[in-house]
Amino acid sequence: MSEQAEMSEQGKVTWIGKPVPRREDRPLTAGAGRYMADIEMPGMLYMVVLRSPQAHAKIVSIDTDAARAMPGVHAVYTAADLPEELKPFPVIWRPPVLKDDSIAALASDRVRNVGEEVAVVVADTQQIAEDARELIRVKYERLPANVDPIKALEPDSPRIRDEWDDNVAALFPFRNGDVDAAFAEAAHVVDGHFKINRHAAMPMETRGVVASWDALTETLTFWSMSQAASLLRTELAKSLDLPDNAIRVMTPNVGGAFGAKWDRYAEDLLACVATRRLGRPVKWMEDRREHFQSTVHAREQIQDWEMALDEDGRILGVRGRAVADLGSCVPSSGIGTQWVTGNTIPNQYKFENYSADIIAVLTNKARAGSYRGFGGPESNFPMERLMDKAAKELGVDPAELRFRNQIQPEDMPYPTATGMAVYDTGDYPGALRRALEMVGYEKLREEQPKLREQGIYRGLGIGCYVHCTGFGPSAMLGMINYDTSGYEGARIRIDPGGKVTVYTGMIPLGQGTETSLAQIAADSFGIDMDDVRVVWGDTSQTPYTGFGSGGSRSNLAMTAVMNAAEQLKAKMIRIAAHTLEASPDDVEFADGHLSVRGVPDSGLTMPEVARIAYLAHSLPEGEEPMLQTQQVFDPPGFGWAYGCHVGVVDVDIQTGMMDWKRYVIVDDCGPMVNPLIVRGQIEGGVAQGIGGALLEEMVYDEAGQPMTSSFMDYLMPTFHDVPDYEIDHLVSPSPHIRGGFKGMGESGVMAPAAVVANAIVDALAPFGIEVDELPITPNVLWRKLRDAGAFEDGRSAASVG
Amino acid sequence: MKPAQFALDTPQSASEALALLSDHGDSAKVIAGGQSLVPMLNFRLVTPERLIDINGLEDLAYIRENDGVLAIGAMTRQQEIEASPVIAAAAPLLAEATREIAHPSIRNRGTVGGSLLHNDPSAEYPVTLLCLGAEVEVASVRGNRTIPVSDLILPWFSTTLEPDELLLEIRVPVAGESTSQAFEELARRKGDFALAAVAVALTFGASGAIEKAAIAGTAGRCAQRLTEAERALTGEVPTDSVVGAVAAAAETEIQPVGDIHADEDYRRHLVALMTRRALAKAIGDRAGSKED
Repeated sequence: MSEQAEMSEQGKVTWIGKPVPRREDRPLTAGAGRYMADIEMPGMLYMVVLRSPQAHAKIVSIDTDAARAMPGVHAVYTAADLPEELKPFPVIWRPPVLKDDSIAALASDRVRNVGEEVAVVVADTQQIAEDARELIRVKYERLPANVDPIKALEPDSPRIRDEWDDNVAALFPFRNGDVDAAFAEAAHVVDGHFKINRHAAMPMETRGVVASWDALTETLTFWSMSQAASLLRTELAKSLDLPDNAIRVMTPNVGGAFGAKWDRYAEDLLACVATRRLGRPVKWMEDRREHFQSTVHAREQIQDWEMALDEDGRILGVRGRAVADLGSCVPSSGIGTQWVTGNTIPNQYKFENYSADIIAVLTNKARAGSYRGFGGPESNFPMERLMDKAAKELGVDPAELRFRNQIQPEDMPYPTATGMAVYDTGDYPGALRRALEMVGYEKLREEQPKLREQGIYRGLGIGCYVHCTGFGPSAMLGMINYDTSGYEGARIRIDPGGKVTVYTGMIPLGQGTETSLAQIAADSFGIDMDDVRVVWGDTSQTPYTGFGSGGSRSNLAMTAVMNAAEQLKAKMIRIAAHTLEASPDDVEFADGHLSVRGVPDSGLTMPEVARIAYLAHSLPEGEEPMLQTQQVFDPPGFGWAYGCHVGVVDVDIQTGMMDWKRYVIVDDCGPMVNPLIVRGQIEGGVAQGIGGALLEEMVYDEAGQPMTSSFMDYLMPTFHDVPDYEIDHLVSPSPHIRGGFKGMGESGVMAPAAVVANAIVDALAPFGIEVDELPITPNVLWRKLRDAGAFEDGRSAASVG
Repeated sequence: MKPAQFALDTPQSASEALALLSDHGDSAKVIAGGQSLVPMLNFRLVTPERLIDINGLEDLAYIRENDGVLAIGAMTRQQEIEASPVIAAAAPLLAEATREIAHPSIRNRGTVGGSLLHNDPSAEYPVTLLCLGAEVEVASVRGNRTIPVSDLILPWFSTTLEPDELLLEIRVPVAGESTSQAFEELARRKGDFALAAVAVALTFGASGAIEKAAIAGTAGRCAQRLTEAERALTGEVPTDSVVGAVAAAAETEIQPVGDIHADEDYRRHLVALMTRRALAKAIGDRAGSKED
């Protein structure tokens, strides 16, 4: 067998748990991938978008005559040229507290952020379209811009939506227990003012679309790298006033998404309008500068939290407020990310009293939507900082304070302080204990003062985290007003030759979907992985999935594949029993082979049974020919993954630069299907977390002009900027999922910001510096050190060498 | 993201290039390695009517040493400077600074002349060539002239090169036996534009005092000679207190410009710190070589 199959002790072929190299890697790294930019069709036209250079302005006039007159230009559309029946994309997650908003195709009378779509040009080539775009003249009348979400809350601040009373899109209150009583009886209260920086997923591949209208069949083929193809199809049908079955959404290879490709975007609608009018395929590819300005940003929140503790350092309650900057429009995910922030503040800790106001506000910046972690990193950072602040206040080691407050394995299932989450399984103190052991916590603590005497400022930072995975039970999504479903389907077809094809609605974004689903199917049938093909990326073939890829949902697809395989195995057993003239109860299915119990040589192979099923010459009474089935799995509950990171850093107090010394990760996603993929997902997630903590920020000036529109100014972490990862695992199966698998695609990104901040604060403990704002730049640290008097007593000269 | 239309010339000799520059200098841009110009073209930050591609001028790529002068052809790739034993011996500062330029793939294409004339305030060559007292030879159909680097570079990406002129050669005095050179910069990530950079070239006297000190720094505006810092070091034995005074002078006279990555105060501090660190390295190297 080519892909390292191993026989278990019982002699059965098993694939689950094996570190199988991803089958995607060889073709993709050899350049055989087909991405959106590679898609070319005969007669294809190219669309480019003219975007607003203003953060907030009235559109006085648009003159497109010169652009339209340019040879090679087929169409120029402004809002006035769009069909009347074209409807904007609705928001998908719409709690009643959220005001109405939607994503329009083009700005009509007003622009609300730099990068907003104002007009499109469709031409024979990309170059002609770009040249023609330069000829469009737009007259703007500037309006005052809102850039600061806190100022945008003020009653007299410039209004983003005239039809709203203020700029607040939603205020979602979390209320549980008696938080004021908890604070009244507290022996200690710690608080913090936190800033989580606006940054973005920034996948290697930008967005793009190819839309092709077929006038013969009156159908639309829509190539998209959307993470949510079925949902996009439904939304396109509504917006374009077409039946769902007239639209086929095809997904090519996707060069990373991380949430940014979950939102619906204006260009999707514009390309459809163009292809229907012009009768030729229309392609739009976003360039990187456009990506910086108009693909969703994420994470920006300004938060104030207080934590009440008793004399022994046990948390009594948490209260506070998070103000989230949504940018100029409510994203497809609504206030979903912010709700998750509010719902995960309790993290791994046991307390009952909680109050939080989650406020989402519009500003004149790019729309902020989903990004790996989806609100989780935004709660982890303040909560884990508060834990360190409390430890300092009580004079207790930060690890010890966490042990005192962690939910214990025997407390599970545990309803958290938000009143809206129930953790299923986990050994939180076990993960922390293991991480401390791996890093050599006590020894490092002993070394710390000696190193300081030598001018080495070394610090340790702990970050414990939870991660809500397998998103999610459809009934639960309904309760929180998510206007889509959470189940995942799988179709399996066994061909007349006996080989297996799995059809999935999951979109592979780099998470190894093809490999892990092939592992599950091969494991279920006990066959070679090479005998399993995984088909994805075509809504005309693959199962409907209301949510799409994201939300760490591979575990749901895996369960659906297992259930579908079970069904087909049962059918093959019935057919084999009929052929072998045995009772189905006496037929065993092992390693792709069906035989009568006790007579292993007597049996049939899967290809033999498949041939019988397709010939249908002699099937059991009432048995349907062929071997195919579809199963849909809707999880009864969430699987909560969790873990603990410990980082060790050295800070150069002269420059404010930091150096990684160690990074230890203990993660629990239940049983691992593929440890190699798990490792890759963790490493990628941690790197993104570190990037967000130290480097990445979308900066706007006071007029709302983006200051970071290229990789020259927006700094992504490279391999020089991330530590070597030391990874271990605990295994707490989820009771809600067959196989016990929890999702894990977003675990890695939860804790790094807290780990970095806690480690730096620990390193600089002699100066009493707190770091509650992200990103933590060398300039910021140096300023804090200078203000704390670090350079006043000659220590400044110590590290000249 | 595509450049606006432009005409492309590919001269195969300097005289051909000079004729083109004479005819079109005002509306043309010369393209060498293209590592800065191509992104600017793609962003349409520059929209020249014409590009004069001088990659065909292969005889402008050389490194030679003659009579105490190191001569570097304008088209010499940065990677060649990094790897050259001639440069390592004659101008170690240049080799050291080159290693800080971006990443290997960029140094493979990027040229020394292109980088100097682009004169990015955070680039390595303007500050190091200024420190080394280099001069350049430029040519036009009107004739050749020699310009000291100190007269060539101006703030904000500008130079005193005329639109019809082409850079032919950079000349650097060869480092003497009693000199020691060092370069220090700080960037947010490896290979990024420097927030601040300092280059030093010291000539030691027999007494251990510094006979001649050249110090240049940059912090967001333009590479500049730090003459007060040089004065504080010249004739002195570089004790801790002397180094402290030199750094303080550098901190005072540098003209920093803040941006989203670093404010003026921080850049000013970094110039002082880079001065200390570069001096420590140069002085340490000198001490090390004396022991050998």
